Amino acid sequence: MVVLEEPIKGVIELKNYIDGEWVESEASETRDVVNPATLKKIAEVPVGHREDVKAAVDAANEAFPRWRRTTPLTRARYLMAFKQLLEENFEELGRVVTMEHGKVIDEARGEVRRGIENVEMATGIPSLMMGYNAEDISRGIDEVLIKQPLGVFACVAPFNFPFMVPLWFMPYAVATGNTYVIKPSPWAPVSMMKLVELIDEAGFPPGVINLVNGEVEPVSEILENPGVKGVSFVGSTKIGRDVIYRKGTAHGKRVQAQCSAKNFLVVTPDADVELTVSSLMSSFFGNTGQRCLAGANLVFVGDDQAFMDETLGIIKERAAALKLGYGLEEGVQMGPLQAEPRKKRVVGYIETGLEEGAELTMDGREYSCDPYPETCFLGPSIFEGVSLDMAIAREEIFGPVMSVLTAETLDEAIEMVNSGSYGNAASIFTTNGGTARRFQYDVECGNIGVNIGTAAPMAFFPFSGMKDSFFGDLHGQGRDAVDFFTENKVIIQRWP
Amino acid sequence: MLRTTSQIISHHARLEEESAEGYRALAQRYPDHRDAFNRLAEENHRHMARVERAYRFGVTDAYEVGITSTQLDPGEYQLEEYTGGALAEDLATALRNEETMMRFCLDAAKTSGELLPDLPDTFDYLMKRKRRRVELLGSLT
Repeated sequence: MVVLEEPIKGVIELKNYIDGEWVESEASETRDVVNPATLKKIAEVPVGHREDVKAAVDAANEAFPRWRRTTPLTRARYLMAFKQLLEENFEELGRVVTMEHGKVIDEARGEVRRGIENVEMATGIPSLMMGYNAEDISRGIDEVLIKQPLGVFACVAPFNFPFMVPLWFMPYAVATGNTYVIKPSPWAPVSMMKLVELIDEAGFPPGVINLVNGEVEPVSEILENPGVKGVSFVGSTKIGRDVIYRKGTAHGKRVQAQCSAKNFLVVTPDADVELTVSSLMSSFFGNTGQRCLAGANLVFVGDDQAFMDETLGIIKERAAALKLGYGLEEGVQMGPLQAEPRKKRVVGYIETGLEEGAELTMDGREYSCDPYPETCFLGPSIFEGVSLDMAIAREEIFGPVMSVLTAETLDEAIEMVNSGSYGNAASIFTTNGGTARRFQYDVECGNIGVNIGTAAPMAFFPFSGMKDSFFGDLHGQGRDAVDFFTENKVIIQRWP
Repeated sequence: MLRTTSQIISHHARLEEESAEGYRALAQRYPDHRDAFNRLAEENHRHMARVERAYRFGVTDAYEVGITSTQLDPGEYQLEEYTGGALAEDLATALRNEETMMRFCLDAAKTSGELLPDLPDTFDYLMKRKRRRVELLGSLT
């Protein structure tokens, strides 16, 4: 058993980073940050205070005029220096993510890589931020569009991708000339502290990027503070829609709220079994099911019972063989859920599924994670005989639970996908191009996979989503992010 | 058993490091071939770096990662120690070790294809390079 060295020694007392300085929170109360695999306390994070956010927003507003006048090329060079430091600290960052979240080291490194991709994308800002023009819209009159930064933006980050998600937003915000406040998840805030240490080392001017730890109070202040122009959020629909979007827009801010999901993966009888099973395993059980792109409902199309039995048989065999444990142990394939309440929630759904009459053909409650404490661990679960009216088929579970449904036709499968309130992701597994095209054309989801189980858009595409999975107009990443963080100004000019 | 990408990368690094140590020892033991053995050891480090780079640049949480259906037994890819008896004997050991490394690269290419699309190409490349090393070793007498 090879366990990689832990980069966090002892207990870190987390501070805020405001105006280029590490400062104590105004709040005296703290919460413990616990490694969910070992249950060791690794940090103490302040619960946060409105005054912390006010100070960060003031610093960011103070820094904005000068940063805005810093040329896009120079701003890109700061990001290049930052990117270099991220590469140099790649392994440590990955291990920190494993320690604070529980995901296995391959997944944690993958998360760090995808975060870095956004920094790389944002370094192209001299081109990405270009406007356009038209000469002679009338005789001697020209029209020009320029893209300008707005001021201070903030993000409220989730626990499931504590390192990557802030990087869906922050690099684009500062590359376009805005200044920024990051509010990490209080459940997994350590990797953001490490990231901001690198921001400091990269030499960003004071106030350009700020970090405020905390829970409810700082978020309320971000949403209400008139000095904040816009907010990015990733988390549940309940918070994203009812709090972030409604309150943020009521206070005149731009908001992009990427929210919950209940993703359907549809398999047709002509699918390549090996490729399909591989993708399904990763989609349903990767990151211990704590992904907004994770598979939740598996739909078999048609009446080919033998195909369904074969596919499910392989999935069960492989799921049963998954090694659970501490993600820093290299052979471990599935880590714990991020915290005990999340396990309780998933176990609650397993009990609900049983009460609803679904057949639990694989019970994740019976897995061993020896020698680690069982508190946060849960193995893969599979429900068969699931119908769409069951809560386990409709509600986001956010854990390693697969609900198996059947549809007589592709039409019925598409109807099933579209019947849900969420529209984050959906995938089809088929070797028929016409079937795939039909699916991608008709399905009401933002991210579509064709023979891909986890349809995660790269940094140069928006992380899409629709219906109850997204509130706002422009998504994170890619050109959407550039547009979110800039205002289009049109100039019509005539010179005598 | 090796069941994750991380394990495969780590095992490969261990093999390359062990191989390099062996060649450095041979370089000291056989001064006539010092340069050749030292070059092989340096190349071991380049191969290790190439695989680590391919992994680090390609690893992603999108698509598939971490969960493979096929597993490799690390016991089947162990390098032999050099006896130090005679050059011919040590060269034979070196050749067997290179064959073991090639076998690992071949199997890792197959297994890692399920995990990370860029890795098989890298292991395939190393296979070709290691064939040349076998030729070089064969030319030493």
